Amino acid sequence: MTAFSSNPQLAGAERLEGTFIFDLERSARGLRLNRFLHGLVIPERRALFKSDPQAAFDQARLTPEEQRMVLELDWRALIHYGASFFTMEKLGRVSGVSNPAMVAAMRGETLESFLATRRVPGAR
Amino acid sequence: MARIIGGIGTSHVPTIGMAYDRKKGADPDWAPLFEGYAPAARWLAEKKPDVLVFFFNDHATTFFFDHYPTFAIGVWDEYPIADEGMGPRPVPALRGHAPLSRHMATALVNDEFDMSVFQDLPLDHGLNSPLTMLYPEAVPAGGWPVSVVPIEVNVLQHPMPTPLRCWKLGQAVRRAVASWPEDLSVVVVGTGGLSHQMNGERAGFNNEAWDREFLELIHTDPMALTRMRLADFARLGGSEGAEVIMWLAMRGALSPDVKKVHQSYYLPMTTAMAVAVFEETP
Ligand SMILES: [Fe+2]
Repeated sequence: MTAFSSNPQLAGAERLEGTFIFDLERSARGLRLNRFLHGLVIPERRALFKSDPQAAFDQARLTPEEQRMVLELDWRALIHYGASFFTMEKLGRVSGVSNPAMVAAMRGETLESFLATRRVPGAR
Repeated sequence: MARIIGGIGTSHVPTIGMAYDRKKGADPDWAPLFEGYAPAARWLAEKKPDVLVFFFNDHATTFFFDHYPTFAIGVWDEYPIADEGMGPRPVPALRGHAPLSRHMATALVNDEFDMSVFQDLPLDHGLNSPLTMLYPEAVPAGGWPVSVVPIEVNVLQHPMPTPLRCWKLGQAVRRAVASWPEDLSVVVVGTGGLSHQMNGERAGFNNEAWDREFLELIHTDPMALTRMRLADFARLGGSEGAEVIMWLAMRGALSPDVKKVHQSYYLPMTTAMAVAVFEETP
């Protein structure tokens, strides 16, 4: 992780392990992918994605790696790459995946083992 | 003149809205959440404010990173419920207060808070998820007994406003409200948190001890919170938990000696859900 040297508000945040601070560098890296994910709030776009994902990817000019991460719902790779959790959340809703399931995947755990660490595993 | 009669701090996790929509009040896993909000809803039903000024954040729903506003105020008279990927929640469109919000936009800019201004945009769970808990009768009644003035704060993409800047925004909002000539009773609402992280291997992080301390400090020593940096909030409450700086905007709009009349805390899954009610002395 890079040091956020130009932002004194973030000094020290680079020492938080397993944390991907969404700053302007990440935002720039993820812009095309995040734009595609954000577009899923438009019913026609998500209908196209569900019926013909390749056409939706081509329209958004996603790279082969971006396409793979989206198709496989590879939450951990997406967040490492530069996706925002909040655009990923749209893909989660469109794909019927809950936030706890996305969190478990980013942690590298199964949903069951993640839920076992929670106080009220049924509250989802 | 318009007067701020109190403030509410509240989480805005989407599951709060989902639990409401799926009528989970009797489900033992969700009952503590509903019980935590009931006194806040009763307080509002009793005080009957005309307007809620909401410090909330968009979640890359209405706004996108090609142009993400740091502070934006809505000045329309109705805000649709946003579609976040599953169609909008079955909730009536929110009522705005166009004249007051236009006045506030003008007052804030003249007070050196250079707000972005938006009109008839849809609003996401950042605002609508706590609102249905605060007014549980509005959905069955088919309409809202209160208007909102939405003030969006960027807590998604750094550089975010500093904690101190949020506090000062709240102070400026207090001045803007007080300079409105008509009699209106106003409650300020700060949303977000408490501890949670939604990215990386640290996702799922919570810190109840810090949450409890935050709930104490926001009441008794908010200045201590304004001296913290965003990195401190991320370390103590998770990177997404840093959005509690929006509670500082709410607190900045209240008097120093405001009374806390209710507080609840529930940490079921990934995000600590809290609600606190502050009342001004009449
Ligand atoms: Fe949020």
